[in-house]
Order: sequence, then structure tokens, then C-alpha cells
Amino acid sequence: MIKVMIAKPGLDGHDRGAKIIARALRDGGMEVIYTGIRQTPEQIAQAAVDEDVDVLGISILSGAHMKLIPKILFLLQEKKADIPVFVGGIIPEKDAVELKKMGIIEVYGPGARTSEIIEKIKGYFEHANT
Amino acid sequence: MQILESQIIEGIRSHDRKALASLLSFCEDDPEKANEILSHLNKKNAHIIGITGSPGVGKSSLINSILDRLKDRKIGVIAIDPSSPFTGGALLGDRIRMQSHAISQNVFIRSFASRGALGGLSPSIYEACDAFETFEMDMVLVETVGAGQSDIEIANVADTVLVLLSADGGDEIQMMKAGLMEIADIFVVNKSDNILSRNLFSKLRSVVEMGKRDIPIFLTNTIDGEGIDELIKGIDKRFLKISTDESFETIRKRRLINHAQSSIRREIDRIMDSIKFESSNIYGIKRRVIEELCKKSF
Repeated sequence: MIKVMIAKPGLDGHDRGAKIIARALRDGGMEVIYTGIRQTPEQIAQAAVDEDVDVLGISILSGAHMKLIPKILFLLQEKKADIPVFVGGIIPEKDAVELKKMGIIEVYGPGARTSEIIEKIKGYFEHANT
Repeated sequence: MQILESQIIEGIRSHDRKALASLLSFCEDDPEKANEILSHLNKKNAHIIGITGSPGVGKSSLINSILDRLKDRKIGVIAIDPSSPFTGGALLGDRIRMQSHAISQNVFIRSFASRGALGGLSPSIYEACDAFETFEMDMVLVETVGAGQSDIEIANVADTVLVLLSADGGDEIQMMKAGLMEIADIFVVNKSDNILSRNLFSKLRSVVEMGKRDIPIFLTNTIDGEGIDELIKGIDKRFLKISTDESFETIRKRRLINHAQSSIRREIDRIMDSIKFESSNIYGIKRRVIEELCKKSF
């Protein structure tokens, strides 16, 4: 069973994307924890560790991704949690490249197909377990 | 014993949250292995409190209100939401209401999917409660899947069962029905800002007065906190009572038997899933399963 956490850091409340992904992953047979909006990086990292999730998905549309995502990655590292992180939202291409360099598995923008995201997560998970 | 398991045991003993997180994952994915790990650890009795009621009645919000007020106690939260019977997937959303406590050192919240268990719980609920007790929690709050009238499994797990009701809970006859209404040790009528909840509160009181057990009823509102302090006093009073009149022992004894039953059922399920039966009658199948069961050593 793949356990995923979908989290929204920062101050934007546009959670339709996060909800659509959470719902799609549920239909894809995964257990999805949704933490709700306006979460701090600390809350997200601690919840991901306590829930012992296999994958963390971060949805962010506020433009603060270059501040908040590295913070989350740092906190996960500090807690010695080796959790793959995916990002979705409005992320300019050059930032997406930077984020991937930091260790983000994939960055999804508007128009990304949910089936593609499900496949990617399942593929990553299978690969990690072999 | 594998490295990981001994690491968990050591981690739990030194109060490492990550070890508890891993142990809870064992509970979910391999409960028998979890039982083995748990057998190496000391437990401290926590007050295990079941919180049940229909979907949207305010179970998660009530837990949040309790956590708001009990910052000096160590509290574990087991929040269960339903798994899909079609895909096996689940959307676990109870945590949303409690997220402000995610970074509290004294609180540990864990979401569970029901994974096919009936009665509004998780198949590994006993192991999960035990895991929290090895972490020396003062209280473990178990939030059931939004319950229906016959979802009473929680009474086998918890020391104290809170049944939540609100606004449109129905008339007295609904409250006189068997099942869910019978397992309450404490009733909570939530959403007190709604006049219908207040009506329900007085109807419920008259129904409780008809019965033999004196079950306390609290009227609460998780938005402005009305009645929460009184409820907490009621919960503590109940714990003091069961701890002093020895019913705690009885409750725990019953719980242990139910735990064993759940473990045996799991074993039977596993055997039945793995055997290709050739017999054409139920006696042959039964004999085969019992034979397999007898081969197991404990």
C-alpha cells in the first residue's frame, strides 16, 4: 500500500489542485493524507515523519516555492526522513530545474494528467522497493 | 531479529518519534510482526478513549479542542477513515482539524485507513493502541470512521467510549435504539450553537434517565470551546472511577481476549487466502483450514 501525504505550505488557499490530486491518488488505490491549507514547513515535515509516508506531494501556487520547498527538504533531512518529494503548482521552468537539483522528484504544472502522476509515483515506489 | 526491529525497540525506549512512526507502520502492514516487537517493550496504561459518531458530527474537531486544553499531557491520536472497497485507496482527512498540534512534542497523530475492517476501525487497532502505550502516552484518542447505528467495535478497544451526536440526530426513538447508543460511557452533543442540538440534548437526557446506567451528557461547541472543560473533567472522572473500582482490569482483560481473537481471525484469513481448496463441501474446507492453523507455532 502506497501512503502519500498532500500538503499545502504557505499562505495561498487555492486548494482545488491539491484536492484533485488527493482524490485521483485515492482512486489510484493509494492512501492519501491531506493536511489542509496554510501549513508551515515544520508542520508538514513533522506530519510526514509521524505518518511515515512513502511519498510527499507539495502543492503551491503562491510563488513562494523557492523559499518554502527548500525549507521542507531541509527539515526532512534534519529529521533523517528519506521521503521522496513531488511538487505541483505554478512553478516557472527555471525554478523547476533548480528544485529538481535540490532533490525534488518531479514538478507538475497546470495541465499535468493525473494518470501520469499516478504512474510516476507507482513507478518510483516500485523502483524504490526492488 | 532484524536490524530494523531492534532499532525500533531501542528507539521507542529512548523516546524517538521516528521509531514510533515505524512501529505504527508495522502495525498497519504486518500486525503479527508488530505484536512480536511489542512483546519486547514495556507498556504504560493509557486512558484509551474511543470517539465515535456519524460523519461530520465533529469528532476530529472535538479531538482538536481536547488537545488545545491538555497541552501538558502526552496524547496519541489514531484517526481512522474509510478505505475504498473498489480500489483500496483512502482519503485520510481527519488530521486537517488537528494540524495545529502536529509540531507539539506531547502529541502524536497518526491516520489509519480502515482497510476492509468492519465496525469503523482499522484491522490493526489493538496493535496500534499498544504501540502508543509503549510510548508512555497518558491518553490515546481513537477516532472511528463516521459510524452507523451498529458500528460498536470501538467498545471492545476503548476504556471509555464517547458517542457524539449533533443537531439532526432524530427523535427519542432513534436514541432508544440498540447498538451505537448502548455503548456510550459518555454522550457528547456537539454544535451547541445550533438550537436543534440543544433540543437533542434535552431529549437525550430524558432517554438516558429511562435506562439503568447513569451516563453523563455534555453539550459542546468546538468553535468557541463551550463545554470542553466540563467534558474533560467528565473524562477524567470516568478514568478515576474505572481505575479505582477495578473495572479497568475487567476492561483490559476483555480487550486482551478481543485482541487475540482479532489476531486469530487474521491468521484464518491468511490461510484461507493462500490455500487452493479442492473439497466440494464446507466440512472439507473447514478441516483443511483447522489443520493448517494447527501447524502454526506460537
